[in-house]
Amino acid sequence: MDLQTLGQLLVGGLLLGAVYALAAAGLNLIFGVMRVVNFAHGDMMVLGAYVAFWLFFLWGVNPLVAILATAPLLFAFGWVLQKLLVNRVVGQPLLMSLILMWGVSLIITNAELKFWTSNVRSVPYFSGAIDVLGISVSQSRGVAFLVALVMSLGVWLFLQRTRWGKAIRATAQSAEMARVCGIDVERVRLITFGLAAAMAGVAGNLLVTILAVTPVTGPTFLLKAFSIIVIGGLGSFSGAFIGALVVGVLESFSAFTLNAQVADAVIYSSLILFLLIRPSGLLGVKE
Amino acid sequence: VTDLSPVPSPERGGVSPATSVATEDPETRTRVGLPLPFQGRGQGGEVRLWVLGALGLILVGLIVWPFVMPNYRVVFLALTFMYVGLASSWNLVSGYTGYVSFGHAAFFGLGAYTAALLMTRLGAHWLVAVVAGGLLAALVAAPLGYILLRLRGPYFAIAMLGLAAALEVTALSWESLTRGGAGLNLPPSLNTLQVYFAMGITMLVVVGLSYRIRTSKYGLRLLAIREDEEAAETLGINTTAHKVSAFVLSATFPGVLGGLYAWHLSYIDPNSVFRPILSIGMVIMSMFGGVGTVIGPVLGGVVLTLVSEAFWANAPEVHRAAFGILIVLVVLVMPSGVVGFLRQRGLIPAHWRV
Repeated sequence: MDLQTLGQLLVGGLLLGAVYALAAAGLNLIFGVMRVVNFAHGDMMVLGAYVAFWLFFLWGVNPLVAILATAPLLFAFGWVLQKLLVNRVVGQPLLMSLILMWGVSLIITNAELKFWTSNVRSVPYFSGAIDVLGISVSQSRGVAFLVALVMSLGVWLFLQRTRWGKAIRATAQSAEMARVCGIDVERVRLITFGLAAAMAGVAGNLLVTILAVTPVTGPTFLLKAFSIIVIGGLGSFSGAFIGALVVGVLESFSAFTLNAQVADAVIYSSLILFLLIRPSGLLGVKE
Repeated sequence: VTDLSPVPSPERGGVSPATSVATEDPETRTRVGLPLPFQGRGQGGEVRLWVLGALGLILVGLIVWPFVMPNYRVVFLALTFMYVGLASSWNLVSGYTGYVSFGHAAFFGLGAYTAALLMTRLGAHWLVAVVAGGLLAALVAAPLGYILLRLRGPYFAIAMLGLAAALEVTALSWESLTRGGAGLNLPPSLNTLQVYFAMGITMLVVVGLSYRIRTSKYGLRLLAIREDEEAAETLGINTTAHKVSAFVLSATFPGVLGGLYAWHLSYIDPNSVFRPILSIGMVIMSMFGGVGTVIGPVLGGVVLTLVSEAFWANAPEVHRAAFGILIVLVVLVMPSGVVGFLRQRGLIPAHWRV
């Protein structure tokens, strides 16, 4: 493998990783605030992908403009889900939330299959490549990377600099103490789930310009997001980014040297390996 | 024998004082599926006779069934046995120790592939192949359990999910051995009776074992781990040995059932034996009946297989979505399952360790 191919794979992986990071950070946010593992996260990504696809397919809408629809739609979806279902299992044994979210995932997948068929969908909007320092980068990856980065930065600023962001972080540290301090914890949870769903949706919206998506892509996305947060550290917002870069690079290298299927096996194995060596992840706090 | 001592003793199905702080009030104990402190056993003998009689009748019915029913119903019941066996196996580790596995299909698939390969490549007898499938699942589960059971809560669940996915991808891409997505064709089993009885006996063994464990000191120690692992450790329970042995037991039978399934269908591919819905099926069946109980997984297995079949027959297009809705409903309405529901209403005597 010559140096240029190496650089190519590295950059390609890093770019893809940033998009995964956006979704994984949402998964982490939900876990951090509610101790709920969102098994439907991959399906929310797929939902976002479908919003972008239909807007493009029906009206030729630019997938970047589509984000303006994806984000609020998925935010509302997450909000309603939290209000109706998730809210009832917060604080209950782990099994409850795991199985509940799995049920939600099944419902989403099969509703998609029913209404939108199992056809493989993608949005071939950005084609061609950009040349950066002798490394050619596919335009779709470059754009997705930039948008994902801006979005993640926005969420980070929201969490760090705003009152609601502070409330979310406080609730993540201790829901009890937050309540005592007068924080409306129920509302914080609604915002958290909505925000996380919107992040997943936007990530899906961006991914569909790079990869093809079907209703059953959800679990694949989910496992990648899991790998990312396990490597980065469960519950750590910034850990998701380190993890995502590792997963993105791992994926692009093993897909190149082996094949795409084996690439998935490599990622899942690294997930298990990381759980064994360092279950708290690179940046996670010990439970 | 009447024991009216106010302190629940471990032998009687209570937890020992060190762990009982959080679980002392009857309602909590009922909710988490623990028996209430022993309150005497008045007409136990008579009831036991009734129960044994009913079980005997059911057993006779099940033995007669394949000889009087059409083939379709025999196969259906054989598959019901399979699901009951799977759910009960899952319950051995996840129900009793509280380590929730979301990838038990891994062992089912391992057994299925082992049996299928032995039968196609080496021409092994089905019985040998199936037993080998179970043994391999156990062999893999031992070191795996030793490593993975150090993980708590969501980490263990995610690791098992990743394991099943990794195995599925391996079966897909190791084409020289498994023929990848093309799948394996086995010599067909034309004898439904053999499948029926093999599945039935495996199920009886699992359920019997589950009852034996639930009513033993070993089972109590497993429950202690579920309630509070640190406390259990402090009491001198070798938690690792207990968790791993329960894990190995709970992996063996899915291996056997996977082999039987492969033999019965005479065709398997990675998706059919590793699919996540199999793993989730075991969880939801146990939950429907009652996690951590003996009859819960049996009840859940029977009812959900029936419901699933009814949906397949009448509304196949909503089959999977209906399954999802059912999951959501169980969690919201009946989180402790049918058994827990009945217990709360006093319809199941509190000292029955079922």
